[in-house]
Amino acid sequence: MTTVNAIAGDIREGRYEDRYRRLKSWGFTPRNIGMILLILFLGFLTLYPLAMLIYGSLHSTPPGMAGEFNLNGYRELLSTHNLIALLNTLGISFAKTIPSLALAVLFSWIIARTDTPFRGQLEVLITLPFFVPSILTAMAWGMLGNPKVGLINQAYMAMTGGTEPLINVFSYGGIIWHLMQHSTPFLFLFIVDVFRAMDPALEDSSRMCGASRWRTFRSITLLLMLPALTNAFILSFIRGIESFESPLFFGSPAGITVVTTEIFNAINYRSGPQPDYQYATAISVAILVLMFLMVLVQWRMLRGRSFVTVTGKGYSPNVTKLGPWRWVTFGICVLFFVVTVVLPIGQLAVGSFFRFFGFYDPSMLTLANYVKVGTNPEFWRGFCNTMVLGVLGSTVTMFLGAIVAYISVRTRWRGRTLIDTMAWLPWMMPGMVLGIGFLWAFAILPKSIPIYGTIWALFLAYIALGTPIAVRVMVGSYAQLSLDLEECSRVHGATFFQTLWRILIALAWPSFVVGWVLTFFGILRELSASVMLYSVGSEVLSVIVMKLWLNGLAEQVSVIALFMMLLVIVFRWVQLRLLKHHITTL
Amino acid sequence: MPAITLEKVSREFGTFIAVDNIDLTVEEGEFVTLLGHSGCGKTTTLRMIAGLERNTGGLVSIHDQVVSDASKNYFLAPERRQLGMVFQSYAIWPHMTVFDNVAYPLRIRRKSAVEIKDRVTKTLKLVEMEQFAQRPAPALSGGQQQRVAIARALVFEPEVLLLDEPLSNLDARLRTQMGDEFRALQKRLGITSLYVTHDQAEAMALSDRVVVMHAGHILQVGAPDDIYHRPRSRAVADFFGSPNLFEGAVRGCERIGDDVFVLDVSGQGWSGRCRADMPSQAGESILVMIRPENLRVIDSGTPVKDGEITIQGRVADTIFRGARRTILLECGTANFNAEISALHPVTVGESIAFGVEPGAAWAIRP
Ligand SMILES: Nc1ncnc2c1ncn2[C@@H]1O[C@H](COP(=O)(O)OP(=O)(O)OP(=O)(O)O)[C@@H](O)[C@H]1O
Ligand SMILES: [Mg+2]
Repeated sequence: MTTVNAIAGDIREGRYEDRYRRLKSWGFTPRNIGMILLILFLGFLTLYPLAMLIYGSLHSTPPGMAGEFNLNGYRELLSTHNLIALLNTLGISFAKTIPSLALAVLFSWIIARTDTPFRGQLEVLITLPFFVPSILTAMAWGMLGNPKVGLINQAYMAMTGGTEPLINVFSYGGIIWHLMQHSTPFLFLFIVDVFRAMDPALEDSSRMCGASRWRTFRSITLLLMLPALTNAFILSFIRGIESFESPLFFGSPAGITVVTTEIFNAINYRSGPQPDYQYATAISVAILVLMFLMVLVQWRMLRGRSFVTVTGKGYSPNVTKLGPWRWVTFGICVLFFVVTVVLPIGQLAVGSFFRFFGFYDPSMLTLANYVKVGTNPEFWRGFCNTMVLGVLGSTVTMFLGAIVAYISVRTRWRGRTLIDTMAWLPWMMPGMVLGIGFLWAFAILPKSIPIYGTIWALFLAYIALGTPIAVRVMVGSYAQLSLDLEECSRVHGATFFQTLWRILIALAWPSFVVGWVLTFFGILRELSASVMLYSVGSEVLSVIVMKLWLNGLAEQVSVIALFMMLLVIVFRWVQLRLLKHHITTL
Repeated sequence: MPAITLEKVSREFGTFIAVDNIDLTVEEGEFVTLLGHSGCGKTTTLRMIAGLERNTGGLVSIHDQVVSDASKNYFLAPERRQLGMVFQSYAIWPHMTVFDNVAYPLRIRRKSAVEIKDRVTKTLKLVEMEQFAQRPAPALSGGQQQRVAIARALVFEPEVLLLDEPLSNLDARLRTQMGDEFRALQKRLGITSLYVTHDQAEAMALSDRVVVMHAGHILQVGAPDDIYHRPRSRAVADFFGSPNLFEGAVRGCERIGDDVFVLDVSGQGWSGRCRADMPSQAGESILVMIRPENLRVIDSGTPVKDGEITIQGRVADTIFRGARRTILLECGTANFNAEISALHPVTVGESIAFGVEPGAAWAIRP
């Protein structure tokens, strides 16, 4: 009580005000302090690991050990082996992006521009593979397309009586095929809105000029979409370079290495008795440089080339009547869904009930796998870790994203460009590279800050990885809310924070929820950073299934994977329900 | 031979009938305007002629060639109809230059490079855009885009030009100017034009004939003068300005020409003669339409002509509009308004007598 009175006395006597004024004159306003804290936090999440990558690539011993500085890591890079890995990376990414883009354009056209039946439902089905963790489909396809015992080959051999397998997923083709399953819906999500947003009069006028439907599509529609397609292409190509699951599952058994698996091998079980951190870090720096160049190319190509095709007038896009062909387009979409979702889930379901993977005999039916998984404390620990990290991580990420987005689009505060850039940096850092950066970053922190080897390491990595998307989602949402609303509220007497709370939060929450679920999916599927940062006790589900798989326990893997699939579908369903509800109440 | 013929053309969207059994012919070289409020089916009608929309009933012919026949499920593709069309959003392709935009229809028709250059230049000259040929299309103002859109529609010398509210994105001054320019061009080239607008002033200034549409129906077709002064229904009368409608009863009817009748009518506080296009029985009740600008102030000195309708009103309010003055008047329980010279002094509360020539009063069946 006395202190309170004393403070009250101070305030009355103006001492605090004095002090406050003095602090203010040095620039210590609450806003500036907040900005500095934000910059420090973002710097810790992005710049710090980036700097540590360079440090680590020059450091001769693993993180946290005394060593000397040299260029051995980079020297090791210059080998034919690495050149092949690099060419593999680029080639595979290119080879998967081209057909994915073609498929995505086809699907976008079918969904946005034709009278194909059940388009709304088909859109949900087509985009589902985007949300399914790659590691799950990778394992499922590892079983389905196994050249000896895979279901597809068994069925093929039984039907034709042949002895040669039809497909072998452990090959370049397998990697590309698996990457396509994820990047097609990714590209689709980009392109379908471009198809929808185009003013139909641009195409109608071409028809009136005498151009056929096909000619119009080639010379008008596609060319108008070219900037958007280029953008999507480069994005997908970048994602291809940083992909890890597909080359790990399908490339490693066939001896195909790419940059990400090279890093992984260097740290985990490369020939030497010691993991080679310096070499792995040097590759990471190299891949970062590559990414940086890609982003530069993207900027240069897109500068001033976005055609504003959206006009204010409300219209529905041109719908092509396909006649009986609409059942063909319907079939194509369903086929994609079956191949990318139903087949893998089916394989996992089948696999989970048999004693041994590949021996599908009724006498082998069992529930033992479920029992084993259910009584496996490691699984439950991983499940709890994933859920806690998912819920907490997405929440923190979205709050961070909401604040960064607000400052960068709605204020003129100093430092907002810095904040925006820092929050965007992880976008061009592959998960694995960021993982290694954090490894070094946490290892050299003083012992009094115990992040290294704890669940906090994963937590911070997930926030860093999720922030760019969180910021983009929230920027989009603020952009839709007109500035007038905000100004109107302030004119009517609400303070800045009341305005933020009442107007912005109240109107922006649907985007917040959408972004939250997206981030949650991101955490659920994350493998490449997790595999670098986990330690005993802090494993997440994706790491656990990977370890089980590498130990050859495909049956238990099926059970866990099936469970994760279910999780994804439930969350996706909730998200769609929310979206729909929100749209109808608007 | 009519350029465009619509016979019983309909368009249904599910259970909603956007265009209901329309009959219309557009003659060679004629400028016809579809006029109506938003959502009355103008665009749908135009798009059915263009082939961008399929009619669910009826027949569309262009120069006696059937292009859409709903009963036979026959629809000629839009690109085979050889029509030029100008869209409300102009639909200038942003990834091409002005020249490429205009050259597009000729390239589709595989003309030689020399001919393309020649014709595009000529057409751009026609719309006074030749100095912008190499501009990228997004770097044009609204009025310039509109000219390019017209050039693109004209360059392949289509048989008919369809225009969907081409001026609605322009500001008022430019709209009048572009409208007049386009009308002059249309007359010079003698190109058949079907024009959609919801602006009555535009429709009257530009057209040979106006088609007034309402809720998918055609209410009346006629020359602008006809539609304005001799509407066949209250809805058409209401469409232009704010006419005064007086309820009255017929006392006598006299035929003075083909389909022209003079009616002797009287109402509450007024009586006199008006014109009609149909005979009426004595005692029948009708509406007499008098446009506010046709009410003439009768001073004590001016004589009242024979047969003129005279009406007295008490001034309730006056609005000064610069060139004219609008006065709102009360006559018994009815209200009406008059537009008189702004120089005429008026005070609220005073009583004014008006005279209306028989030619300026028009009878409408209620
Ligand atoms: N694709 C469609 N599906 C359902 N209804 C439609 C469709 N297109 C038009 N309509 C309806 O048909 C009616 C006529 O539309 P239309 O576009 O022809 O109007 P309009 O007279 O051109 O109006 P405006 O002046 O606003 O352009 C409107 O009520 C509209 O809602
Ligand atoms: Mg319209």
